[in-house]
Amino acid sequence: MNFFERQEEARRSTRKLVGLFALAVFLIVLSVYLAVALAATWAEDLDLDVWNLTVFGWVAAVTLTVIVVGSLYKIATLRGGGQTVGRLLGGRPLQPNTRDLKERRLLNVVEEMALASGMAVPTVYVLDKEKGINAFAAGFGPGDTVIGVTRGCLDLLSRDELQGVIGHEFSHALNGDMRLNLRLMGLLHGILVIAMIGYWILRTTSSGSSSSSSSSSSSKKGGGGGIAFLGLAFLIIGGIGVFFGRLIKSAVSRQREFLGDAAAVQFTRNPSSIAGALKKIGGLEAGSRITNSHAEEASHFFFGNGMAKGFSAKLDDILATHPPLLDRIKRIEPNFDGKLPAVDAGAVSQAQQLAAKEEEAGGFVPGFAPRAPAPAGPPPAEAAPRTVDVDPATIADTVGTLDQAHLELASSFLARLPPALRDAARDPSGACAIVFGLLLDRNAALRRRQLEELEAAVDAPIHAETLKLAPTLDQCPVEARLPLLDLAMPALRRLSEPQYRVFRSAAERLIAADAKLSLFEFTLQRILLRHLEPHFHPARPPAVAYGSLRAVSRQASLLLSILAHAGQAQAERAAQAFAAGAGQLADTRAVASLLPFEQCGLADLDRALAALVQAAPAMKRRLLEACAATIAFDKRVTIQEGELLRAISDSLDCPMPPFLPGQALA
Amino acid sequence: MTALIIVLVVAVVLIAWLVGIYNRLVKLRNQFKNAFSQIDVQLKRRYDLIPNLVETAKGYMKHERETLEAVIAARNKAQAAVQAAAARPGDPAAMQGLTGAEAGLTGALGRFFALAESYPDLKANQNMLSLQEELTSTENKVAFSRQAYNDAVMAYNTARESFPDTIIAGATGFGPAQLFELEAPAVERAAPKVSFS
Repeated sequence: MNFFERQEEARRSTRKLVGLFALAVFLIVLSVYLAVALAATWAEDLDLDVWNLTVFGWVAAVTLTVIVVGSLYKIATLRGGGQTVGRLLGGRPLQPNTRDLKERRLLNVVEEMALASGMAVPTVYVLDKEKGINAFAAGFGPGDTVIGVTRGCLDLLSRDELQGVIGHEFSHALNGDMRLNLRLMGLLHGILVIAMIGYWILRTTSSGSSSSSSSSSSSKKGGGGGIAFLGLAFLIIGGIGVFFGRLIKSAVSRQREFLGDAAAVQFTRNPSSIAGALKKIGGLEAGSRITNSHAEEASHFFFGNGMAKGFSAKLDDILATHPPLLDRIKRIEPNFDGKLPAVDAGAVSQAQQLAAKEEEAGGFVPGFAPRAPAPAGPPPAEAAPRTVDVDPATIADTVGTLDQAHLELASSFLARLPPALRDAARDPSGACAIVFGLLLDRNAALRRRQLEELEAAVDAPIHAETLKLAPTLDQCPVEARLPLLDLAMPALRRLSEPQYRVFRSAAERLIAADAKLSLFEFTLQRILLRHLEPHFHPARPPAVAYGSLRAVSRQASLLLSILAHAGQAQAERAAQAFAAGAGQLADTRAVASLLPFEQCGLADLDRALAALVQAAPAMKRRLLEACAATIAFDKRVTIQEGELLRAISDSLDCPMPPFLPGQALA
Repeated sequence: MTALIIVLVVAVVLIAWLVGIYNRLVKLRNQFKNAFSQIDVQLKRRYDLIPNLVETAKGYMKHERETLEAVIAARNKAQAAVQAAAARPGDPAAMQGLTGAEAGLTGALGRFFALAESYPDLKANQNMLSLQEELTSTENKVAFSRQAYNDAVMAYNTARESFPDTIIAGATGFGPAQLFELEAPAVERAAPKVSFS
């Protein structure tokens, strides 16, 4: 199953889930009515008909209001996306420039995996209070992902195992599962809220009756008992909500965990990585338990089963959000003997500390044994236009995946990156300077003007840092620029809101300095806004709005036209490239003909992409195939064309792994 | 019956609203605490650089033991202060302590560099140059993170003091947070002393 099919599947699950949710709501309304009827009968000796429609109407209205308010409230709080979940679970965001060895190792693993899959590097949260081994990924899309890891994970897992767990989480991040998870969390809050109210009523009435019993001794005995009974009833009815909540979660969550494990194996090409982590969960006393009070609502986010065992093993089996541990291990290692060696938290921790130190020392990176030696000296300067390996037929299958070749590419990229740039990318002020440096023009006069603009716009230290990094950045090969930007993302998210505003306006001034928008400037600006704007100013994430290509035919023609013009200078050949791309779309009439060069403004592309991101997954797949066919029309894909394709793919929320260098070059 | 339901609904809405305010305060508090950990990373880096600096200078500045010791003492004091502040970011006493210790360290370093001026060999030492460069860049980064922290504290304090958040803040123990401001050390402000003895 590829990326797009899984996205479709996630959407289908949403529908199934809404059905189950409606059923749960109906049952809850019914039970509330029965409880009210009983309470009224007992407390006030009121003779209530079993079917009193007015009262039922009232009860339904009130219950629905409570559920809707509860759900809407949670959905509103969750608008912040992954960071909200990370905070809710007691997470602490890691500083990208941390010097703690274990944290550094975790960040290295995440950075490699992100660069290999073509995602902006996510923010990493550590749940310091959790001693078990568990992890989660949360967010609305690949752009605002948060990866959370428990303390136990950090302390007890080897680098390989950590990589397996992170790979599992990345597969959730890449496949649209996270968004479904967030929706689920918001929606289910509405039906959990009733249990919470019941608990609250019970607590206040019991404390209230004990303290004020002397004053209003027994005047309203019956009423007080009725209210207490109501509270108890709410708690029981809330139990229906909790039950359904778990059922819904287990319905969507379980199968995906197997898929996540399989993806982790596929990403790392090392079955023992994820199997090792699962075995350690089994052997550890704390297991994968999450002690935070919000664990119940977020149980479907986690890598392992976060909830404690309930009363009945059978019921646990039906309601578990995760498949049994042994089953998961057996799927990865078919001849697993079922023995889980006990894990001694203290001893492993020590060994990990040593291993982490080795990594910091630089030489040995476990998991990447056959790594190509890093070439000495600066990367080779630009020669003839270099090409990358793009196969239009299979390009769409690579979206949302990665394999070992990409992981090796990413880790060798990180190893070859000049230390000054690597350090700067992990530091908020340095990350700003990198973005400014990337925007500086090669033309000396223009660059001088840009630097003057910059000096006026930002504080002196940043300006100085930009000047310092500029020569190193000029040396950087073209294909390193966008990964560098991806690498800088976590540090840029650490800016304060006012700092972000200064940063954004300064970047805009640098882009506008030459009064024209180059393709690279456009790409960079788009990536920045897409990945940072939702972090600082949360807004509703785009939903699927277009189900057919005809609805977006204007935008699709514009997209293909721009790609055709970018690759071919002559109008005639551009038309042929356009035709090659349009041929990939099943419905050839969906796109018109090549638009003349003058009509292909990048501002229009911006709007077109904003519309196309709302297309259904299957359409996005066709569009990307068409884009790939357009640029590969002349059998030669330059790095610039490849990067543009990746930026477009990223704009459509389809992270595409970096291209491997072209065959001709190897 | 109906009245009870209405009261219940009003209560639910009211609670949801109060919880919303509370959660917003928690979010803002976490934000400035996280912003402090950013300063923490940079300051620790700075404190790690200083012993190297002193070690390098020792060979040249044999007769300036007092100044070197003062730098180390100030550094140790600042390190203790940042540990105290990291345990309770925003706490007025801890932040004041950090501000004071940082001012002391900056002053001691200022004196050290002023003295180093008169040792040409030391000034030309490659190790010394790179340490000095790194120290400057770390200080720039501290300044930048400090700005982020102060922005976050400002947002938190504003929310905390404005109505109706202030009621919730008062009832649930959201104390005021202290900005991290550097007072210019006395040495920098005072005119350089010139002696002709």
